Formats: sequence, structure tokens, C-alpha cells
Amino acid sequence: MTQLTGTTHRTVQIQSNFERKAFMYMRLSGAALLILAVGHMVVQHVLNSTANLTLMFVAEQWNSWGWKVYDMLLLAFAISHGVNGLRNVLEDYIHNRQVMKVINTFLAIFVVATILWAGYAIAVFDSAKVLN
Amino acid sequence: MQVQLRIRRYNPEKDKSAYWGEYTLNDANSNDSVLDLLHRVKWEIDGTLALRRSCAHGVCGSDAMRINGANGLACKTLVARLAEKGSSTVKIQIEPILGLKVLKDLIVDMDPFFEHYKSVQPFFINDTPAPENGRERLQSIEDRARFDDTTKCILCAACTTSCPTFWANGRYVGPAAIVQAHRFIFDSRDNGASERLQVVGDTFGVWRCRTVFNCTNACPREIEVTRAIAEVKAALVSGEL
Repeated sequence: MTQLTGTTHRTVQIQSNFERKAFMYMRLSGAALLILAVGHMVVQHVLNSTANLTLMFVAEQWNSWGWKVYDMLLLAFAISHGVNGLRNVLEDYIHNRQVMKVINTFLAIFVVATILWAGYAIAVFDSAKVLN
Repeated sequence: MQVQLRIRRYNPEKDKSAYWGEYTLNDANSNDSVLDLLHRVKWEIDGTLALRRSCAHGVCGSDAMRINGANGLACKTLVARLAEKGSSTVKIQIEPILGLKVLKDLIVDMDPFFEHYKSVQPFFINDTPAPENGRERLQSIEDRARFDDTTKCILCAACTTSCPTFWANGRYVGPAAIVQAHRFIFDSRDNGASERLQVVGDTFGVWRCRTVFNCTNACPREIEVTRAIAEVKAALVSGEL
């Protein structure tokens, strides 16, 4: 009698949709946040004392574009990841599609506006004015 | 051993709302199952108690219910497991499974559950001709092992009705249907994976799973339900089976 061995590998065509993309984004942003948020915690709370977290400390950090970009990325990933999680929870409990559409639009505007507004604030922060 | 039973009762023809019926059995054994106790209540105390059961041996999946706040099969849950050490009195609370409409007492409407089950096409799909010798399509041991765990499902609904997402939104296809989809998606002889993945990849499919693990804890067949759901998610992301 024939005895088959080994594992068969197959590939299938996947029709993507918004939820699939949102799931993949949550995974990617989650991995990014693991590095960015833990890094943030280490720098702010382990390597430095919380007692020293003053405007001067922030000004010294944002004197470098590296830290500015770091914090912008942290902001963008944290806001979008968190709000997408909130959207998921709301989708469970709000079954009216029209109401959900309005809420999703509001959440999307909130995410974009917060990232742009706070990102702009970080970008134009002039450390020299605080340090001098 | 004394058993104090609190059973959620509801007769839509008589009761405005559900209430707790309280029954005491004075000579229960620790190796009695919860189903044995329910039989005694029905046969000796109150014949109007309604419940589903069939094989009474954990195979048919008819008597899933919420026992002391956790889903399980009444026939597989022994009094000894619910008793506190050293105590001669056991308190057991029994409710119908959540998320499905209660028809009477412990009986729920299983139609929505089976609609989700049917949606994943839980049957073998392969239009290619059968082997010339007329015998079965062969499969390696490794390929068979790929979906072995999910073949154990008995459709008792303990997993789906322990899922908070399903409680909140009955449109979620639910863990049991995903387990059934998994059983065929990862079967190397089956050719219907694309259609099934489209169903479970829908807005109300696997993406609604929050990995709470209630389903895995509730499964009386000890299927790793959350793992099966994660494998389906991974297949939807990569397209690899």
C-alpha cells in the first residue's frame, strides 16, 4: 500500500478587505509600539529620574531631530493603534451601520487631526528658546 | 452529600421574566454528573423542567449549559469537581448558555448557531475525479495531523456561547464555525479553502476574535479553539496553508 509522507504546502488567493488590512496594521503598529513605547519608558523612567522630567529635559531631547521623529512615530502609532482598537470594541456593541459610519468618520478625523496637530507642535518646537 | 441547585427557569407561556428555581437533593454522590442531578429534579421534584440531553456521555453535545458561571456539558461535569474540599454541601448554579434566545428553561434556540455553522460549508469539497481504484484519497500522517484537533468538535456551542463578542453581536460567525472551517481549510484533500476563507475573513469573521480564550476553556473536547482561530487568521494574512 502507498504510504504518503511529508506536509503539503498550498497557497490560496485571498480577497483582501478593510478588516484584514486593519488586523495587519494592528500587528505591525503593535510591534513598532513594543520598541517605541518600551524605549520611551526606559529613557524617561529608567535611565532618567521622573523628578528630572521638566521642560528643560524635553527641550534638550527635542534639540535633536532624531528624538523629534521618534516621538512623532510614537504618537502616530499609539493614536492610530488605540483608536482602531476602540473602533473594534464599538463595532461589537453598536449594530446600526449608519451610526457606526458616523462614529468611524469622527474617529478617522480625530486620528488624522491629532497626529497632524501634535506632530506640527513637535516639529516647530524651538528648543533654543527654552535652553537659552 | 447535599446539593443545593439554583436553576434558571423560564416558561414563555407563563412567566413574564426568568427566575431562579431552588432545589435541594440530600443524597447526591460526588461522582454524580450535573445531568444526573437535573434528571433527579425533573423526575422526582418538578417535571416541568425543560432541558436537552441525548447520549449523556459527552459525545452528542446536546446538554451544554452554564454551570457555576462557566460553560460545560452537564453530563461531563461531576459534582466532585464543583465541591469545595471538606464541605458536605455543594452549591451549583445552572443557566442556559448565553447569546442565544431562551425557548424554555435550559433550552435555547440553536438556529442562529447552526446558520453560522452552515455558512462555512462544513463538508468536503473536491471536484477532481476520485482515485481510479475507487478507494479513499490518501493523505500523509503529517497532513492529517494538521487538522486533527478540530475534527473533535461535537457542535455543542459551549465555545461560541462563552465568547463575549458573540454575546455582544450575534452576527459574529463564532468560534465553533471557525473550528469547523479550520477542519476543512487545512485538509490537504479539500479544494474549498478559498470560499471558506472568504466567509471567515468577512467583517463578522475571525477579525472579531479578541483572543479572550473563553472558547478554549469552555470546550468539553479540549480543542485549542483560540489556536485554531489564530491559524485561520494567519492563513488569511499569508494565503499559505
